[in-house]
Amino acid sequence: MRKRTYRSVAAAVLAGALTLGLAPRAEAWSLEEAAQPYSGTTVDVIFLLRPGYEAAKQMIPEFEEKTGININITEVPYENALGQQVRDFVAGGDLDIALIDLVWIGNYAENGWIEPVSKFMDDPALHNPNFQLDDFFPLLVDAFGSWNGVTYGIPFDNYSGLLFYNECMLEEAGFDGPPETWTELLEVYAPALTGDGQHAFALQSKRNETQSADSFARMIWPFGGSFLDENFRSNLDSEGSLRGLEFRQDLMEYMPDGIVSYDHAETVNGLAQGDVAMITEWSAFYSSLANPETSKIADCLAVAPEPAGPAGRKPALGGFSLAVTSQASEKEQAAAWLFIQWITGEENAREYLDRGGVPAIEAVYEEPGVAEEYTFVPALVESWQEGVPEFRPRFAEWPEISEIVQVHGTRIMLGELTVEEGANRIGEEMEAVLEKAGYYDGEKPLAQ
Amino acid sequence: MNRRTSPRIVWAFLGPAVLALAVIGIAPLVYAVWTSLHYFNLIDLKDVEFIGLANYASVLTSDAFWDALGRTLLLLGIVLPLQIGFGLVIALLLHQPGVGFLRTLTRLSLVLPMATTYAVVGLLGQVMFNIKYGVVNQFFGFFGAEPVNWIGDPTNAFLTVIFWDVWQWTPFVALVLLAGLTTVPGEIEEAARLETRKWWRILRHVQLPFLVPGLVAVLILRTADTLKLFDMVFTLTRGGPGAATEFISLLIERTGFRAFDQGLASAQAILLLILTIVLSQLYIRFFYREVQ
Repeated sequence: MRKRTYRSVAAAVLAGALTLGLAPRAEAWSLEEAAQPYSGTTVDVIFLLRPGYEAAKQMIPEFEEKTGININITEVPYENALGQQVRDFVAGGDLDIALIDLVWIGNYAENGWIEPVSKFMDDPALHNPNFQLDDFFPLLVDAFGSWNGVTYGIPFDNYSGLLFYNECMLEEAGFDGPPETWTELLEVYAPALTGDGQHAFALQSKRNETQSADSFARMIWPFGGSFLDENFRSNLDSEGSLRGLEFRQDLMEYMPDGIVSYDHAETVNGLAQGDVAMITEWSAFYSSLANPETSKIADCLAVAPEPAGPAGRKPALGGFSLAVTSQASEKEQAAAWLFIQWITGEENAREYLDRGGVPAIEAVYEEPGVAEEYTFVPALVESWQEGVPEFRPRFAEWPEISEIVQVHGTRIMLGELTVEEGANRIGEEMEAVLEKAGYYDGEKPLAQ
Repeated sequence: MNRRTSPRIVWAFLGPAVLALAVIGIAPLVYAVWTSLHYFNLIDLKDVEFIGLANYASVLTSDAFWDALGRTLLLLGIVLPLQIGFGLVIALLLHQPGVGFLRTLTRLSLVLPMATTYAVVGLLGQVMFNIKYGVVNQFFGFFGAEPVNWIGDPTNAFLTVIFWDVWQWTPFVALVLLAGLTTVPGEIEEAARLETRKWWRILRHVQLPFLVPGLVAVLILRTADTLKLFDMVFTLTRGGPGAATEFISLLIERTGFRAFDQGLASAQAILLLILTIVLSQLYIRFFYREVQ
């Protein structure tokens, strides 16, 4: 009996020691120690010229000091980012981290240019136990970083479309809140807010990704439309899609002239100068609209979720994730992962937010004071519950299809094509691209 | 002392130039021809295959290609005469005797547009021609004009591209022609002035023969440049609105680096090259012969 007690005690002690032995190892994971073997490694990454990247740039010296890893940033405008990265991957270049717009993920993953996160998260030496995918908004991990059920990228620069409006202008016109639906915006708000050189609404529609993502896609989804049906045939001639595009034509009456030449800058400026009452723009523009140095209406700025259509809210969804590239050496991959984990994780999320970034960590938006200090937060969180991952199809052929939408989408707005003609034309050309890519003969799975 | 130069010395002098040309010019050209005969998509490199002339067939049957080509030739047909006309006027004005200081000053300021990076010209245009905040509409506003929708309207966007191209390249033409005028021997010109007071006669019979070599160079260079005009338009309108300013080189970029279909883009580029060579040959045959 005594012997047995001893044995149980010994077993308990052993079990305890084992547990303790494991637990302190998890507790004791430190970035400095994990990074030690990679000190002096240089990690190459492409950044855009946007607020989230500015925020990260301010934080990077701290990471470099802690780890001895150098982060080498090449800054490019959005329009060049895809081409530059693809050329780098094809040529076996230097990039160790891929910057992935949600519509590029299929392309990168299918070509084997990026590594699944499991490769690093399964490695206890590299994985910070406090870093968990569950900490992120599920929609963002799904849409920005995952392809065919595998997660490659960690959400880094995160957007949702929001309704930014000039509260003072709305109050003056007798409205005590923003429109709830697109129809209300068109029928009730728009006539009352247009006149004397001012316009109720501006929809950025320049012939680039702005036309396809911010203008075209934004209008078809809430009205029940979409780019493709379940068989990957064009769904642009469906009732919902056509209704959305007709709606855009109707709304143009209340937009400034030359709206097809408006990019983000012109649209944000229109609101900031007090010339336009409402815009739907990415959350990332909040900081410049709320800053009195760049905005005349900083005191009047208010933010709401995008208006709903007959099919629901379906706000624009966009954003970028960071993934480790396959072409990087083992050392560079490890260093790159440590950086991604550090810059996107919960531990630094608040600092990233305070410096002008928009993190994807759910908990940071529940911290006391955050919703009051950043008035876009409640609308953003609400939008991220209702977004559509395939707002724009995420397969490799999207850039080519986007170009088709850009040309004919603008021509519809200019009246060179009717809504129906334009939708059919885009549909035909889009299907030709998908056919060539092998979606219709079963060569490629219908994944978007 | 008519010693034959040894082949080794000939090669030592010519070799570097031939090598540089081979590496920089000929190798990429051969590679482009090779690419144009293949299905070669950067995002689908595992499926590269020889497809003969299929890329050329799809280029030649594509409406987008012919539209873009037509637009490019229209642009060429408008900007080239304008640049030569304005350039000639400026050159003749500066060639007047007794404008020494003014000539130096003007020559200096003529270099400025040419020295501005194409892409920057486009970005400047985006700001200056903005319908609401642009300085151009503000300027016309002083005279009570309504704001003009410069880059949001298809016709106006095309006109804006014409304006910028003429602004940027007329000085080049002017300087080349001015240099041509200075090669006219003074005594011949003086003698001609004693013969006639009609300036166009002097221009036609005395000055023009000396201008032709420069003019042919201008024609060839400006034609090649206009056919591959890209940066300014890309930053100004990105080919829009609709397809109003989608010139051939924008289409090639779109095919090669947005759809990543390098095979198709190479076929388009080779066809553009052939067109450029044909036009250059025509210029040389019809204009240059006169002085030979």
